Amino acid sequence: MAFLDNSGDIILDAVLTDTGRLRLAKGDGSFNITKFALGDDEINYELYDKNNASGSAYYDIEILQTPVLEAFTNNTSLLKSKLLSISRTNLLYLPEIRNNATEGIAPNTTNNIVSVAVDEATVTSLEVNSVLRAGIINGFELDQNNADTRRLLFDQGIVSNALGDTGKVALDADLVETQYIIEIDNRLGYLANPDGNPATASFVDDDNIASYFLSLTTNSEYFSDSTLTSSDVLAGPAGYRLRLLVGASTNLNSSTYLFTQLGSTSTIGSTNLFHIDTTIRVTGATTGFRVDIPIRFLKQQ
Amino acid sequence: MATTFKTITANDVTNTRTLLHEAIPLTGTIASGTYNDDNIKEFSHGMFQSVYDYPFLSSSANHIFDVTHGYSSESALSGASSVQNSKKINIYNQMASVLVGHDATGSIQRFDQDGNIAAGGAKLNEAFFLNFSRLLSKDEIKKDSFRMSFLTGGTPAARTDALTIGDFGASTSYLVNSPAGEYGILYTSSATPNANSGVGLLYYQAGVAVLTGSIFDGDMGPGVTSGSYNALATGSNINVVADSIRNRLVDIDFNNTVELNSTIYFCRANHNEFNYSANPTYLSSSQIRVKNTTSDNPVSYITTVGLYSSDNELLAVAKLSEPLKKDPNTELTIRVRLDY
Repeated sequence: MAFLDNSGDIILDAVLTDTGRLRLAKGDGSFNITKFALGDDEINYELYDKNNASGSAYYDIEILQTPVLEAFTNNTSLLKSKLLSISRTNLLYLPEIRNNATEGIAPNTTNNIVSVAVDEATVTSLEVNSVLRAGIINGFELDQNNADTRRLLFDQGIVSNALGDTGKVALDADLVETQYIIEIDNRLGYLANPDGNPATASFVDDDNIASYFLSLTTNSEYFSDSTLTSSDVLAGPAGYRLRLLVGASTNLNSSTYLFTQLGSTSTIGSTNLFHIDTTIRVTGATTGFRVDIPIRFLKQQ
Repeated sequence: MATTFKTITANDVTNTRTLLHEAIPLTGTIASGTYNDDNIKEFSHGMFQSVYDYPFLSSSANHIFDVTHGYSSESALSGASSVQNSKKINIYNQMASVLVGHDATGSIQRFDQDGNIAAGGAKLNEAFFLNFSRLLSKDEIKKDSFRMSFLTGGTPAARTDALTIGDFGASTSYLVNSPAGEYGILYTSSATPNANSGVGLLYYQAGVAVLTGSIFDGDMGPGVTSGSYNALATGSNINVVADSIRNRLVDIDFNNTVELNSTIYFCRANHNEFNYSANPTYLSSSQIRVKNTTSDNPVSYITTVGLYSSDNELLAVAKLSEPLKKDPNTELTIRVRLDY
């Protein structure tokens, strides 16, 4: 993945992604481009110097000199940050999506990462006084995760209270996120609603990344009943809270194969464990903001 | 409503077809001499030789063309005493079957000198076949671009009489009565093209040159101490005959053609679109970094264009060579071309 030559005219380097080629090869009409998005993955807006003494022409001089990398073909690694269309130009604040690790599940204090126990033996071995340690999701029996402190929570809203406090001032309706795309490695786990019922993946790509599309209108059980009136990670106007669980795949539940192939070993208390680290990606389908949550799947050795 | 996607309408898509041509120059020494024939692959069946651009045992070698020879069972050269007689007939019949086809009775038709098969006329009963790799000929050889030079006279050690053969005038006079696509007649540069002066045929899409043996009037060797093409064709096996024509090759030049079908997507960003970003660095405590006040224009920088399916899967991606500034004062149309 080299840099593109930027010494002359602006050129476009276009490639089909692996998913694009897969769909083209299927020949079933699923290769159908219907929309586009623009991205700015390489841009670091911290380089925008709006106080540059030389004038406005110099505000973005460093950004415009940013070298751009060649296109590559992994569909999930590209367009991590998209440009956003909002017809108004007078916005000074935009809502973000924040993982709420205070009211929701927080990283386990031993390994400092939210973990998922993949089978019954692992759950039992990680219990203290018959209660699963904090920071660990029971990935074997999801309905046992019956408190928000066992669930992943994502709050959408403005972090600062410059526009007013959460619950006092409403987030502009056109900035409220009502659709999410959740991506998870399908070999390792699956998505479930807060009650533990598995969701149906919209698509599993050639790299085994499953995409779940959740919408307020059709998947309301994942969303808070109304926009938030308080949040430990937001101070300003807020949208909805997304609540979800992660279950362990049958592969992880029944075999150590993937653990030996992709994972490593660790210890919690006196329990020796296999583990695999992965990431769950939560992207707002409307606003494009995204947050990646590291997750560790645990299996007793 | 905030959005990150924009629908591509029928007015934003167009299809084009472009013919690209590459010049392919092959020097004769690549076929005989440069690599001491380490780039010439022979097979145990002995029915053709493959020429590579580098010693073929190397993984970086590319196959560039094959050479073989055959004659019709109706040729005067055909006979039980001829070396590899049946294989030479089989080669001729195989090539004729594919390139000329069959008559109404199912019999394989022979190569016709002027291409007018229905009218009968002179046939090319003895022929060399140069089968060019698809790596070189691509979709087809460009008409009226094929030139091939041989030294047809003298002896193998002292070759003389350079002769250039080409599909002169073929861009307007090619033939279409072959089951293998279009073909032209190969003429010698010294001959004014006419019905009786053809010395071979060139099949453009198949990438095969068929060359009559009669153009070689000297001692072709090796393997034959003296004598004509006829002596070589009957007295030597196909590999030796292929050695001989390689030895007399001076150069081959042609242009290939690639038919490029493209879909062009016009990605239009209007003045009020794509002015904000979901980049993690775009906000600081939710405040937009590129603005001091609400009245400042939002600014974003485009580096990537993603083309998506209706279920939000990224199917194609295009990268700009440098960031492109987007603000409410600008409108952009980015033209993304996908070639097939």
